[in-house]
Amino acid sequence: MNQLVQSLVDAISAGATLGLAALSIGLVFGVIRLANFAAGEIITASGYSIIFTWQLGWYVAIPIAIIIGVILSLLMELGVFSRMRTATPATLLVASFGLSFLLQRVYELLFTNNVQTAAVAPELARTISVGGIRFQLLSLATIVIAGVILFALIQFLNKSIWGLQLQAAAADFRTARLVGIPASRVIGLSFALSGILAAAVAFVTTVQTGAVGPTFGVPIVILALIGAVIGGIDKISGALAGGFLVGFATSMLASWLPSDMSNFRDAYVFLLVIVVLIFRPSGLLVRGGTVRT
Amino acid sequence: MSESINEKTIVNSKSLRWKLGPLWSLVSLLLLVYLVTVGNSYLGDSVSVQMQYALVNLVIVVALYMFIGTSGVLSFGHVAFVALGAWTVGLLTIDPTLKRNLLSDLFPFLFELQAPWLPAILIGGLVGGLLALIVGPVLMRLNGLQAGIATFALLLVVGQVLTYWSSIGPRSGQSMVGIPEVLDLQTTMLFALGAIIFAWLYQRTRPARLLRATREDGIAAAAAGINIVTQRTIAFALSGVVAGVAGGLFALTNRVVQASLFGIELTFITLAMLVLGGMLSLSGAVIGALVFSLIDLILVRFQNGLEIGSYVVSLPQGARPIILGVILVLMLIFRPSGLTGGREIVWPFRRTAPLPGVPPTNE
Repeated sequence: MNQLVQSLVDAISAGATLGLAALSIGLVFGVIRLANFAAGEIITASGYSIIFTWQLGWYVAIPIAIIIGVILSLLMELGVFSRMRTATPATLLVASFGLSFLLQRVYELLFTNNVQTAAVAPELARTISVGGIRFQLLSLATIVIAGVILFALIQFLNKSIWGLQLQAAAADFRTARLVGIPASRVIGLSFALSGILAAAVAFVTTVQTGAVGPTFGVPIVILALIGAVIGGIDKISGALAGGFLVGFATSMLASWLPSDMSNFRDAYVFLLVIVVLIFRPSGLLVRGGTVRT
Repeated sequence: MSESINEKTIVNSKSLRWKLGPLWSLVSLLLLVYLVTVGNSYLGDSVSVQMQYALVNLVIVVALYMFIGTSGVLSFGHVAFVALGAWTVGLLTIDPTLKRNLLSDLFPFLFELQAPWLPAILIGGLVGGLLALIVGPVLMRLNGLQAGIATFALLLVVGQVLTYWSSIGPRSGQSMVGIPEVLDLQTTMLFALGAIIFAWLYQRTRPARLLRATREDGIAAAAAGINIVTQRTIAFALSGVVAGVAGGLFALTNRVVQASLFGIELTFITLAMLVLGGMLSLSGAVIGALVFSLIDLILVRFQNGLEIGSYVVSLPQGARPIILGVILVLMLIFRPSGLTGGREIVWPFRRTAPLPGVPPTNE
């Protein structure tokens, strides 16, 4: 019982992290049909900045991480993707692969192949006991952080004019432009939000690992991208739910698979992904027609 | 497709030229690969070794083209077939006593299983094709991004299984060593030429034409009675064979095989070569692979220090992949349909066929 509750909390926290990462990809995909693999490198950049600036205090490190995430995300849009508006989603995906590869090599050159370490928020890296059940404080904190960010994002998307414009563009970009929604603002906004979410993912993950290397963001973005697609990358809620599901399943399998099978944990997750795609090709949360790609 | 109209008019006017046109595109590609290989083999041993890797990559890119170019569906899964081919060749060619010592957890029957390297490569191809044939009917139902993610999941599953299942390979994360040194540059080139001929023959067949029709318009093709899943599975399996052969070549070239070699990086680099050349034509696949490899070759020369007159120009370590990445991204921005723009090499002296009903212009 005790173990079940602990593993559930851990799984929810892993799901929340990947949900945010998947949302970061889904927001951009909804608007310009780009499945941005290089979102992982935004996470890495924010991660590096947190490691390097943490000693200055969280009130310095976190804003800097967010600013770096947003700037890098916007630079990707301005430097590369804005010049590829007519390319197919497949070409865009390959371009984002290229960008991801390129940035990883730049990180290698700047910060070497070794991981950079710092104790980020060590006060979160301990366990607390509630009613006889021990929890990792970080897991609880992650769930709270993800909840707050999600709440703020939903408020922004539903209450502000910019948020509504973004939703309109995600639903139907062409019609949104026809009714006068400025394309460049909406696209820029989606990239900026994507950068903020990436910074949040970077914070939670650096607290957990305390180390950032050139490929820090890659495993996160792989699972997030897969999650976004099986949830329905076309819808913002679909991407979030899919990312959550993949994180949750990965964490639960890690806790409960017998140890001689635990090496194959990811293989089971990916098999599950293939099965979901076969039966619900347009995503778990999407009804009817397939994604426009 | 306007191409089919063109072809028909050419058939009517000069049927010989119609036959020679595509053949010329094949011959020129074969000649190109031959000349580049021979040219590079004069530049010293280290270049020869690099050229051999380049040819292996070329075979992978041809396999990718056979499926992606013909079907228009993205696949990240072909490197899984490459991995299986490499694994097969490794298990069949490593000396039995060495195998018993190094890979002690293998299934007992695998200790006895041996084959000379040439049949081993072909068996590797069949194993790759077999996996493609098994998963094809399921995966080929998907389109677009979903197909990309599902094939990507296949790549990751195969990678995990090969990494951790010690009954069919080394213990977790370790590598297979002791693969014999038998493959030289010339033989590798012959395999590359063979792969190009195989892909060219395939793209002239009826299944390939049907599959191209589904690429252009899936709904219309289905309405015309084409079974999309079947046609895609045929292409997937055949390209899986070519990818498996490439894996065998890789094993014999690298002589050390490890699951981590067949992951996202190889997938990305070979896909980048295809996109660089233009993913809708065989010429694009071959030229993309050659150009990418040649740029890399030149950068390696610069990295080791190249004397120009009295100056020595040398690139800092680590700059090479960055330059490659920049070139790729710039190419995608300025020429998204690739170097060849998806066309085949055509007979340079061919007059363009007049359209029916259009009088010839006087110049």
